[in-house]
Amino acid sequence: MSRINDVGGVDGFGPVDIVDDAQPFHDDWEAHVFAMNGALIAKGVYNLDEFRDAVEQIPPRTFLATSYYERWFMAIRALLVRKGVVTPEEIDGVLAG
Amino acid sequence: MSDDHDDAQLSRQVRALETLLERRDLVDSRGIDQAVEAYLARATAANGARIVARAWVDPGFAGRLLTDANTAVEEVGASMRGGIQTQRLRVVANTDRSHNVVTCTLCSCYPVALLGPSPSWYKSEAYRSRIVREPRGVLAEFGLTLADGIDITVWDSTSESRYLVLPARPAGTDALTETELSGLVTRNGMIGTAAV
Amino acid sequence: MAFSPGDRVRTRVIDPPHHTRLPRYARGRIGSIVELEGAWPLADLNAQGTHSLRTEPVYAVRFRAQELWGSGDHDVVLDLWESYLEEAR
Repeated sequence: MSRINDVGGVDGFGPVDIVDDAQPFHDDWEAHVFAMNGALIAKGVYNLDEFRDAVEQIPPRTFLATSYYERWFMAIRALLVRKGVVTPEEIDGVLAG
Repeated sequence: MSDDHDDAQLSRQVRALETLLERRDLVDSRGIDQAVEAYLARATAANGARIVARAWVDPGFAGRLLTDANTAVEEVGASMRGGIQTQRLRVVANTDRSHNVVTCTLCSCYPVALLGPSPSWYKSEAYRSRIVREPRGVLAEFGLTLADGIDITVWDSTSESRYLVLPARPAGTDALTETELSGLVTRNGMIGTAAV
Repeated sequence: MAFSPGDRVRTRVIDPPHHTRLPRYARGRIGSIVELEGAWPLADLNAQGTHSLRTEPVYAVRFRAQELWGSGDHDVVLDLWESYLEEAR
């Protein structure tokens, strides 16, 4: 079934918010998520298609309510658990941090 | 959108994950800062602008760009190499009869090496959902109104090709140098949401 | 390579339970091959961790807005793996 990322032709998202971002990352944590993803892919922990898949599988309501890099962060956590790199308990610890 | 409170919490969480991964030897925190800096230094819209300006002044280059862009861009010191995966670059030229605009409806694929990181609007559901359905309306929101006789092609980056729009050279620019011409080229022009 | 520039093709009507790069709006639609873009591992399989040695040709395929939406005067070009396409008569 189609995932929530597949938005071509979907109505209701409204006018484009044309802010000319000078900054690619609004906060430092976003830059770190970005780089972390690159590092994990480069190390072969997962590939780019697996990453996109993980982002797409975020439940729709959460997906739409979450910012771009926070979705990446969610996807990375899910993949690390799925790949057995970290345990769910360790992720709970990260989130409680 | 994240507010300050969210940012603080996310900062803590991201740092906690980074620490965990560092212990597993999967990331290197100092490497991360360097990687981000290097990325931002290399990947800028100045690269794309140089490509466009060269194409405007050199028809031979323009021809090579339209035939094999991956190779041609290296002539002006730009490159599609060094990313996570090999991408094909496809340059699509605007003419007085046709206008091109680029999107990735499924995620946010974008020629980062040539344009720098993508703007938030490019990643937004609003842009991605509407540009394939009503491009004229979306372009008008960007302040770009195209005459009825102009055909619009929307390029949806669904695979490993990345698209760069070659805007039409503006009138009255014959006297400008290549460097001056590159200064006229905007990132939005190379996505297709501006004339140049 | 199953297709050449100018060929009429139809995208398959698929609705897989997994990751795919054929958007919903372009399924079961008739378009024409613009050109061969290259050959890459099929994203659908790559995303399932079956590190896909199944590399397939990917084509740029042009669709009229009329065909996709029933209205509009623009075209949309998508890059589609060969297994997303079938010949259209």
